[in-house]
Amino acid sequence: MPVGPKGVIAIAIASLFGVAAFGWPFLIGSRSGLADGLDAWLVFGGLLALVIVTVLALLADGTMDAKAVAMLGVLSAVAAAVRPLGAGTAGIEPLFFVIILGGRAFGPGFGFVLGSTALFSSALLTGGVGPWVPFQMFAAAWIAMGAGLLPRAAGRREVALLAAYGAVAAFAYGLVMNLSFWPFALGPLTSISFVPGDPVGDNLIRFLAYDLATSMGWDIGRAVTTAVLVGLTARPVLRALRRAGRRAAFDAQPEFAPAVPAAPPRLP
Amino acid sequence: MTRHRDLHPLAWWLWAIGLATAASRTTNPLFLILIIAVAGYVVAARRPEQGWARGFRAYLILGLVVIGIRTVFHIIFGGGLGETVLFRLPELRLPDWAAGIRLGGAVSAEGLVSALYDGLRLATLLICVGAAVTLAEPRRLLRTLPGALYELGLVVVVAISLAPQLVESALRVRRARSLRGGSGTGLRAVASIGMPVLAMALDRAVALAAAMDARGYGRAGSVSAGARRLTAGLLLAGLLGLTLGAYGVLDASAQGGIGLTSLLIGVLASIAGLAVGSRRVLRSRYRTDRVDARSALVAASGVGAGICLVIVSRYDVATAYPSTYPLTAPQLALLPVLGLLLALAPAWIAPAPAGPAAAMPPTARSPGSPGSPGTRALAPGRADETAVSAAARS
Repeated sequence: MPVGPKGVIAIAIASLFGVAAFGWPFLIGSRSGLADGLDAWLVFGGLLALVIVTVLALLADGTMDAKAVAMLGVLSAVAAAVRPLGAGTAGIEPLFFVIILGGRAFGPGFGFVLGSTALFSSALLTGGVGPWVPFQMFAAAWIAMGAGLLPRAAGRREVALLAAYGAVAAFAYGLVMNLSFWPFALGPLTSISFVPGDPVGDNLIRFLAYDLATSMGWDIGRAVTTAVLVGLTARPVLRALRRAGRRAAFDAQPEFAPAVPAAPPRLP
Repeated sequence: MTRHRDLHPLAWWLWAIGLATAASRTTNPLFLILIIAVAGYVVAARRPEQGWARGFRAYLILGLVVIGIRTVFHIIFGGGLGETVLFRLPELRLPDWAAGIRLGGAVSAEGLVSALYDGLRLATLLICVGAAVTLAEPRRLLRTLPGALYELGLVVVVAISLAPQLVESALRVRRARSLRGGSGTGLRAVASIGMPVLAMALDRAVALAAAMDARGYGRAGSVSAGARRLTAGLLLAGLLGLTLGAYGVLDASAQGGIGLTSLLIGVLASIAGLAVGSRRVLRSRYRTDRVDARSALVAASGVGAGICLVIVSRYDVATAYPSTYPLTAPQLALLPVLGLLLALAPAWIAPAPAGPAAAMPPTARSPGSPGSPGTRALAPGRADETAVSAAARS
């Protein structure tokens, strides 16, 4: 699914917005009106949903043919079906290896859409709908897009590259999701809470302490399991995906050549 | 029964967003518990009897977990404010470079109550979302997506209808494997089940794509190049406005109005772009969702409750945010209580859920409320019949 210059610009602008939506505790000035963490979370969640919808509408227009829709639907279904397998087991998130390999096989633009639709479908299926869904969708979209943007490699090197990327991406996912919850999760009174207007360094240390106290262990577990899953499955799964991509090339343009005089029809 | 029974799916969501707004505008535990009670009552009265409607309990548990986490973290990392010390934990102070993080120490009643209030507010918010998810299936919202998002809606519909089939085909592959004498456990088994399932799913994708392509799907036909350029321009302008606006709002040095203006322009341009882009796709719908009077009333009751509490939080701060330094007893006030009780109205306005009981002929239905013992005794047999006929149809 080639996205074209329009799509690249759209994803770039949206990513800038995403940086603000996740990282606002470190970007906010001391005189800004958005001091309450819960309000900011809800406002940014709503705007992020609008941004995702806008980008996807831009990407859908013209570039999304039947092949892309079917492939996105099936891969989202696979991701949504494997996600409950990890629930309850400390930190395993099988959804990631599907979207990472999908983004790798079909390119960054496809990956961006796949990340968001996979997360959204699985939220609908498992009933985990809430204000956190736009944040999860955006983070997953980044992860799958990043897998498509990795440099070219083949064979074992590609598998190693993807496994390493999977570990980093899974850990970063936990970190940014925590960052989106942190400003309001604990209330203003604890010593690891977000303090609006404090120096960035102090808030950063408090955030890392919060992350360490709440979910660092889970995130490390998730990073390891994602890397192992990607390492084990990358070769056969990528081969299957690429084969399906080639097989679905029924969009070939017909070429009309001047008629060649045919042999006279032979009657039986 | 041809009458269109269901509410517009957005109605319940607007109702819940109104209640959630009310919850986010107060820390008064009396109001918050009233909101939970209202949401719980309406859910109990108007919950459809399908499988996905049992999720409300999960949101209630999530709310309790949120309150618990808040309280525990307050006790461990809490600040030492407040005079009424309940108990003391051994204290550990990290060095200065660690932003003065403090563990343990005195736990005051004031701090604990404030943490509980805050946790309850967040829990209430989540429970409001849970009520919307329970009352209006989120999947039905997909039908209200604008045409510009048609492909995305289709992707999600394909995904959520295919995912259960994948589980089915995994079970089939496992059965075939065990017939051939393979064991059903271990890493090797997972791989030898997973790959055939994936291959099957991908084959299905190719077949689906071929079928859609053969039916002329995805051909951008009658849209002029100008209209497409206008759509793309509006959407890009919307993105730009939203992003500039977000940074403008965050930046202290910018004048307050610029960020908000830019955000507003971005929102409007995005919506306009989606509206113009929706003309690209022409399609007909089976059973369109209409906005009828009842849907409007349901939405209005929730939004009204939200507005009431926004007003209270502006003009009666002491009631909306009861003081915890010093500790005071939270007060009730007439306007917010009436406003929140207004949101109870859907329990009577909204149509009764179309469950097994409603499918019975009127003569067989016992008099009295839908929850009366007579109906409940009959319901299981009915449910079995429905399941059997559904299985026979599929």
